[in-house]
Amino acid sequence: MINILIGVAAIAGTLIIYLFSIKIHEKHNYTFTVPVIIATFVIVMVLVVFQIPYETYMLGGDWINHLLGPAVVALAYPLYQQRDVLKQLLFPVFCGTFIGAFVGVSTGILLAKWAGFDQLIIFSLAPKSVTTPVAMAITDAAGGATPLAAVFVMIAGIGGVLLSSTIMNYFKIDHYIGRGVGMGCASHAIGTATIMEESQLSGAVSTIAMVVSAVVVSIITPGLIVLWM
Amino acid sequence: MLRICKTIIQIAILYGIYLIGNWIQHVLGLFIPGSVIGLIILFILLMTNVLNVAWIDKGAKFFVEHLTLFFIPATVGILNYFDVFSGKGFLLIIIVLISTVLVMSGSGFISQWIMRRKELKQHD
Repeated sequence: MINILIGVAAIAGTLIIYLFSIKIHEKHNYTFTVPVIIATFVIVMVLVVFQIPYETYMLGGDWINHLLGPAVVALAYPLYQQRDVLKQLLFPVFCGTFIGAFVGVSTGILLAKWAGFDQLIIFSLAPKSVTTPVAMAITDAAGGATPLAAVFVMIAGIGGVLLSSTIMNYFKIDHYIGRGVGMGCASHAIGTATIMEESQLSGAVSTIAMVVSAVVVSIITPGLIVLWM
Repeated sequence: MLRICKTIIQIAILYGIYLIGNWIQHVLGLFIPGSVIGLIILFILLMTNVLNVAWIDKGAKFFVEHLTLFFIPATVGILNYFDVFSGKGFLLIIIVLISTVLVMSGSGFISQWIMRRKELKQHD
C-alpha cells in the first residue's frame, strides 16, 4: 500500500516538475534550458536533499519509463509525415546519415577505449548521437548504463548546437540538405529543433536524419562494438 | 473526452506494436532494441497503407511532443553515477564533443556533396 502511495507521489511530482521545466524553457529559450536538463536537475536535487534513494523514486518512475518503448515506436510518425521529402532526397540523406552513424559510433568507441575507459562507459557512450530513448535502449542491450547514455546524448545535443555554426562555416556546409543531415545525425532532437528555426526544409531533412540515424545506429552498434573492442 | 479516449486507444495500439517488436527481437535473438523494430514496423505499415495514419496520429503526437517526459525517470538515475565525471571523467565530455564535430561535418558534407552533383546533372 505504502509503495503505491510513493509511486503515485513520484509520478505526480515528475509530471509537475516536467510541466514547470517546459514553462521555464518557454520563458528563457536557451539550448541548456531544455526541459530534460531542468527537470532532471530539480528531481535529483529533491532526491539528494530529502535523502530518497533512486530505487524508491523508481517505484513510480518505472511506470513512466514503461512508456519509453511505445514513444520510440511513435517516431515513425514524424518520419511518415516527411515522406515526400524522404522520397525526393532518399539517396543523399541516407548516404550522409550512414556515414554519420558509422563515424559517430566508431570514434566514440575508439576515443574512449584509447583514453582507457572501461566497457560500461564505452557501451554507454557509443550511441550518443541518437535521440535519448533509442540511445538508452541500445546501451541497455549492449550492457552499458542507461543514465550515462542519456548524459552523453545531452552533451552531444547541446555541444553540437553550440558548435554548429563554427562547424558548418569551417566545412562550408551551406546547403539545406547538408545542414539538416548534419544537425539531425549529430545532435538529434535538440539539433532538429534548432535548425527548424532556420528553415522548414532543413528541419524536415533533420527530422528524417534523426530517425534514420536512430535506426542505423541501433543496427550497426553491436557489430562495431565487436569490431573495435 | 472523446479525444482523450481516442488518444488512449491509440497509445495502446503503439504499445501493441512495441510488444510485437520486443517479441521479434526475442525470437530472432537480435541486438536491435524491440522499440526500434517497432518503429520500423509502424513506418512500413503506414507507408503500405495497411495502417491508416488516423489510427495512430493522436497517440503518436502525444508521445513525440512529450518525448522528454518519458525518459526523465531514467536520466535521474545519473545520481548513482556522479563519480564517473570526476577526475579523468572530464575527458569523456571532450571525447563526445570531438566525435560530435566529426559526425556533423562528415554526414553534412557527404549529403551536400551528393546533392550538389545531382543538381548539376539535372541542369545539364
